[in-house]
Amino acid sequence: MTALDLPVRTHPDERVLAGDADNHRRRRRRREYGLFALLVAPNLIVIAVFAYWPIIYNAFLSLTDWNMIAARPTFVGLANYTRTLSDPAFHKTLWITIVFTGLIVVGSLVIGLALAFLFNLPLKGRGAVRTMAFAPHVLSGAAVATIWAFMFDPGYGLLRALIEPLGAEPPDWMNSSDWALPGLVIVYLWKNVGFAALIYLAGLQGLPKDLDEAAAIDGANTWTRFWAIKLPLLAPITFFLLITTVIGTFQAFDVIAVMTGGGPGDATTTLSWSIYNEGFKAFNAGRAATLSIIMFVILLVVTTVQARVMERRVHYR
Amino acid sequence: MTMRRRMFLGLAAGTTLAGCGYRSVDAEYSQPPGAVPAKYGNRVRVVFWTSYGGANGKAVDKLVAKFNDSQQDVYVEVQFQGSYDDVAQKVAAALVAKQAPDLAILSDVTWERFFLNDALEPLNSYFTDGFGPAVFQQKLFGEYVVKGQSWAVPFARSTPILYYNKDAFAKAGLPDRAPRTWSELRSWGPELSKVQSGGRSLRTLALAKVDGDWQFQGNVWQFGGAYSKGLDVTIDQDGAVAAGEWQRQMVHVDKLAYMAHSPSTDFANGLVAMMQESTGGLKSMTSKAKFPVGAGFIPSEVASGLATGGGGIGMMRNISTERKQAAATFLTFLALPENSAFWTTQTGYLPVVNAARENPDLKKLIAEQPNFGVAIAQLTNARQQDAIRLYGRNANVAIYTGLQQIYADNTAVKKVFGSVAKRLEAIGDEVKRLYEEKVL
Repeated sequence: MTALDLPVRTHPDERVLAGDADNHRRRRRRREYGLFALLVAPNLIVIAVFAYWPIIYNAFLSLTDWNMIAARPTFVGLANYTRTLSDPAFHKTLWITIVFTGLIVVGSLVIGLALAFLFNLPLKGRGAVRTMAFAPHVLSGAAVATIWAFMFDPGYGLLRALIEPLGAEPPDWMNSSDWALPGLVIVYLWKNVGFAALIYLAGLQGLPKDLDEAAAIDGANTWTRFWAIKLPLLAPITFFLLITTVIGTFQAFDVIAVMTGGGPGDATTTLSWSIYNEGFKAFNAGRAATLSIIMFVILLVVTTVQARVMERRVHYR
Repeated sequence: MTMRRRMFLGLAAGTTLAGCGYRSVDAEYSQPPGAVPAKYGNRVRVVFWTSYGGANGKAVDKLVAKFNDSQQDVYVEVQFQGSYDDVAQKVAAALVAKQAPDLAILSDVTWERFFLNDALEPLNSYFTDGFGPAVFQQKLFGEYVVKGQSWAVPFARSTPILYYNKDAFAKAGLPDRAPRTWSELRSWGPELSKVQSGGRSLRTLALAKVDGDWQFQGNVWQFGGAYSKGLDVTIDQDGAVAAGEWQRQMVHVDKLAYMAHSPSTDFANGLVAMMQESTGGLKSMTSKAKFPVGAGFIPSEVASGLATGGGGIGMMRNISTERKQAAATFLTFLALPENSAFWTTQTGYLPVVNAARENPDLKKLIAEQPNFGVAIAQLTNARQQDAIRLYGRNANVAIYTGLQQIYADNTAVKKVFGSVAKRLEAIGDEVKRLYEEKVL
């Protein structure tokens, strides 16, 4: 036995004290964890049951062939993915979704920003106009679609009354493969720009005035001040709108369901409509789940890329 | 090694997840909730999911109220669930959630999927003298019989009929009858175009944007073709292509026909002279239209023949014996001739019970309004649809989206039906195994 083997000697009282403090700290930490768990539990459980579990279950279903009535799904591995990814109809759907989303995102941002500048001017009655512009955003999609279906109708629609006096023949909007998608874009823009305008307006009103004034004193014209100062300062707003609009538009369903049902032919079949069609019309749970996972991955990638790109540009404070 | 591991993971995931759901074929499931009025308190409750709204929904309610007051053991509760598609979706969803309505309205293209997957109760053992093969109209009853066993009974069965606007026909100087052939219909177009309606010239024929493939099933036969022989797809062959080509020319060459979001709305508002629509809409169209409505046989061309359609009633398998017996009592009640006749007089649907045709109320109605006799007389030409549309899930959607391309974009019919045929073949492959096992 050497001295080295001896335990470190501490005063008995000290040891007790240290152990006490340890225990105390541990107990306190445990209690804090307990409290933490207690506080997050309600939300966590709800999110787990209604968000995470369906995603996991959906991922499982995408590996099966199941018609929703049969007693058991059949495990088919990645067959749904290979079949979907090599299907020309899926490629077309993806392309339509991208065009549709792109037009709506760009349109919402540009028109929304223009409206925001307009609403920011000290004009008479702007409160009422702001409310009217925002109102469509809170209307139900099905109601909006029903109203627009009437307006677009070539026989008795409102647009006919507007277009015909100009000497032009109104297009048969929803019954033409060339016009159905632009028609849907118009409806979604009408529904969305009010929201974009409102958010931009809030951004505009929160901009620091000093930069703008300094530039004005230095002789920068309105356009330069917009382009070089206001727009960059609004970047966080643009970023927020970009992400929410992309996600929202990718998942757009209500207006499509009521107005075109994905048609004519497949002219307005977006990813979200084809998920519904595969799942709830054809009862192909596996293939619908596969499409959902693909949509999930696309949105995840798009959002991540946007976040990375914007991270570098967005911050001005 | 990796294969094994993957399989193991798959199986493990599968069994864990399977623990949470899926239907067990012979389990007894609970009933969808609802309230039973106190006066029917101690009876066996039967939940009946339907897809009839408006005037037709009221007629269902009346029949059910009459049943509930006619005896003391069973209380039937009607739960309206939306369209035929909606009912099918909700039944499937309910079964996964281990719940089952007792009876459900299933359409010409949805009952098969429930039958193929063992979700329906076979009905032969419930048949009596007043409820069975001898009672029902043979053709309509037979469509639900597979290998001698009945899987549903006919209820709101229909055929398309040709609706025409009598005022418009008179203004155009045409005879007061439906055209006998598609060629005759086409030759009447120029006269009808001279009639003005809503600030523009009247159109001859409305073609349905959605679900028009049901009417087109008959049109294909009338031009000598078929959607399929068994599950072998033939929509890309001569007769079917000719039918599509006739419609394409009507829309894009003659500009007499067009694709309508809702043919019946356009027709009721006098925007179009004719449409092919279910006889089940006859009653509501008669009251909606502001002009006298004419009805006649669907025109023929090289052949006659049209598709039956509409809803039957299926009994779910996953319910208790007591509920099954109670549900059968209600089905027996519906098979009484006076109830079948009542349903026909209130809606326009076919009388599915033979003896209903002798019912004085129905006879009187047909004498006063011959339109109500059209589908009955036309039934001799009607037959069950081609197997691919009945058994192929979403075959109907594949066909009507193809038709949309012809109507909307003037796409060559041969090309459209070529790609529709490919989709139908893939759809057919999905059900082939079950179809061969259970139907053939």
